[in-house]
Amino acid sequence: MDFSFTKKEEKFRTELRTWLEANLPEGWLEGKRDLPEDLDEYSRVLRAWQHTLYEGGWAAIAWPKEYGGRGASLMEEIIYHQEMVRVKAPPLINYIGIHMVGPTLIDIGTDEQKERYLKKILTGEEIWCQGYSEPGAGSDLTGLKTRAVKDGDHWLINGQKVWTSFGHVADKCFLLTRTSTHPEKKHRGITVFMMDMHQPGVETLPIVQMDGHSEFNEVYMTDAVATDADIVGQVDSGWHVLIALMLHERTGIGAELFTLEKQFNDTVELAQQYKVNGKPLIENPAIRQKLASFYARVRGSLLNYYKNLTTTIKNGQPGAETSIDKLVVTELNQALSAFAVEIQGHQGVLVDKDAVADPKWQHLFLASFGQTIGGGTSEVQRNTIGERVLGLPKDMGR
Amino acid sequence: MDFSLTEEQEMFRGHIRKMLDKFGGTQIAREMIDDNPQSLKKVYTTLAELGCSGINIPEEYGGMDLEALDLVPTFEEMGRSLVPGLFMETSALAVPTLKKYATEEQKQHNLPAIASGEKWISFAALEPFNDFSPAGIHCTLVQQDGQYVLNGTKTLVPEAELADAFLVLVRTNEEDQEDGLSLVLIDQTEDMKIEKQSSFDESKHVSKVEFQNFIIEENQIIGELDKGWTQLQEGLLYFNAALSSYIVGAMEQVVQMANEYAKIREQFGQAIGRFQAIKHSIVNMKVNLEIARSLSHYANWVVDTDESDREATVYSARTYATEKFIEVSAHNIQIHGGIGFTEEIDCHLYVKRARYYDQYVGSTPFYQEKVVASLGW
Repeated sequence: MDFSFTKKEEKFRTELRTWLEANLPEGWLEGKRDLPEDLDEYSRVLRAWQHTLYEGGWAAIAWPKEYGGRGASLMEEIIYHQEMVRVKAPPLINYIGIHMVGPTLIDIGTDEQKERYLKKILTGEEIWCQGYSEPGAGSDLTGLKTRAVKDGDHWLINGQKVWTSFGHVADKCFLLTRTSTHPEKKHRGITVFMMDMHQPGVETLPIVQMDGHSEFNEVYMTDAVATDADIVGQVDSGWHVLIALMLHERTGIGAELFTLEKQFNDTVELAQQYKVNGKPLIENPAIRQKLASFYARVRGSLLNYYKNLTTTIKNGQPGAETSIDKLVVTELNQALSAFAVEIQGHQGVLVDKDAVADPKWQHLFLASFGQTIGGGTSEVQRNTIGERVLGLPKDMGR
Repeated sequence: MDFSLTEEQEMFRGHIRKMLDKFGGTQIAREMIDDNPQSLKKVYTTLAELGCSGINIPEEYGGMDLEALDLVPTFEEMGRSLVPGLFMETSALAVPTLKKYATEEQKQHNLPAIASGEKWISFAALEPFNDFSPAGIHCTLVQQDGQYVLNGTKTLVPEAELADAFLVLVRTNEEDQEDGLSLVLIDQTEDMKIEKQSSFDESKHVSKVEFQNFIIEENQIIGELDKGWTQLQEGLLYFNAALSSYIVGAMEQVVQMANEYAKIREQFGQAIGRFQAIKHSIVNMKVNLEIARSLSHYANWVVDTDESDREATVYSARTYATEKFIEVSAHNIQIHGGIGFTEEIDCHLYVKRARYYDQYVGSTPFYQEKVVASLGW
């Protein structure tokens, strides 16, 4: 049992901390952290931040050095997330490019593809989205219907995607299509294309979420075009590409857990400041007990993540237990943000400029409902844990 | 960073598990229901032979001089089989308290005997119709002619008939509520009045112990007079870390029972574990178990350090574990259906033990308040 960081890891932290303090957007450290409402302006500011990260060598620390990364260890990635959360760094607009598409191309892309795409991912010149879900294919991706058909020397793509994060700002799409029909095995016959989002025949419509924001989109493709050079892996082997891609998502849940821990500390602060009947809420025994209960859950989830991480480091790859982390962090996030709204009493329904405390609570509460759905619903996570960790028989119909 | 038990610790777990399986697992607890402590006594002897009783005792007193974390495999395995007895009270409450506060003479008198498995110590704190708090302690210890006289009644004293000694919390000063308590260690004698009490966890015996003008020597007082409550808090950190480990072991067995049953029991032509209602219920149990395990492993590591989250995490481990033990043991019965409600199957033993430990030596709100207070909120 050892919870200390090595000298090398501490040096890494200091280096990053120093760099962040010097290079965060102006006023950011002092708490002026409002991102522009206007979409173009929002995209411009975040692309600029991505470029700053690139120039400092902090855009994709886990990538190998030869491709512009730092070849960072898992622990260095953890430290990276901790520090980013500590300074409440701006969101990473090219999250999908950095954490998913880039590593997958490094792993299985052709030399031409690496040459063509990797640097532009790092610099933020090309923003990526993922074209996975469809109206009839959510957790069950084998139901996808978007088709790519070979027409001369290029492919014609037709279909509809939904819940496409960053679709409205993206330049490229990591797109799942059906290229042949194998009725016996539905996951065969899927091909991954890197599709240009700016071509005729690709239309993006933002979906307004229940929190008033639009982070997801519907993407319609009518005779959109791609070439053989845009295929990742082989034709009809998209399922393997997907699996390769998922293995690269090594520490993302950690970042969410550190954010959750920070939000918990903010909740405590809220309870210290918010008064009921002239007394700070934190003096109320019922509130104290609930906070203690949340503290146990947040600490427990974080420690459990460290335990799974230790196993990952020892085995060289993550085990199925890591699904527990995703399930726990999203459900806990939902419970915690609900609590933060609840303790504000009726005033908790007020949002934006009318909010009586930090308006982020109302936003986090509403946004939390998306977290237990996106990236595999809680139900799908429970199936995974039940079947792969506990060895229970597969769900009906599969 | 390395958040895992060592290979040695895991190997040691294997030995303990094998040994307890030979005794029939919960059979030891079931024999206690029939008032037969023979297996339990043999288990005590075997645990001592394996060195368990001396793990956290310094070498000069015949122990191995290891840390709380090294006791975790033993506690988890005992929890799996619901081994009753006084191992936890002795190793995780009396030993840390003695190590920190006892005089050299008191250490010599107790620690070697504990290490060799000859001395098991019970804890007498609660009093009838009172809670576990300074205000609930009325047993008085009064100085008279160079001796001390103890009067009062303790209730819910665990395994009193098997105890070689009792760590007793007494009032030595009426003026100051909190700083008016002291800890005394009393070897079992003929003239102690012990009366067994009925409890629904029949595998864990509890008794009422009455002291009437009971004479105590000054050298039986542990640590500083009137500072017993403060001293006890240090022992309670170790005890609660240990208790959380014991519960993790019990929860692990409960999850395993539910999981195995869901794989073999069929309804509508399917193993019931295929139905999401059942599968997800077992997954929730498993998630609760893993979080409790992570909290408790950390708690047993952090007690021996001076980390700032020492108290907060230990008490979090305890409250989380006790709450979730109640929950998972109840779900286990539900998943087993009718058979889960019988005496034949072990399910009920775990539900009863979960209730027993929920309020033992402090309740969930009691420890939650300690979490919050220790964080300065």
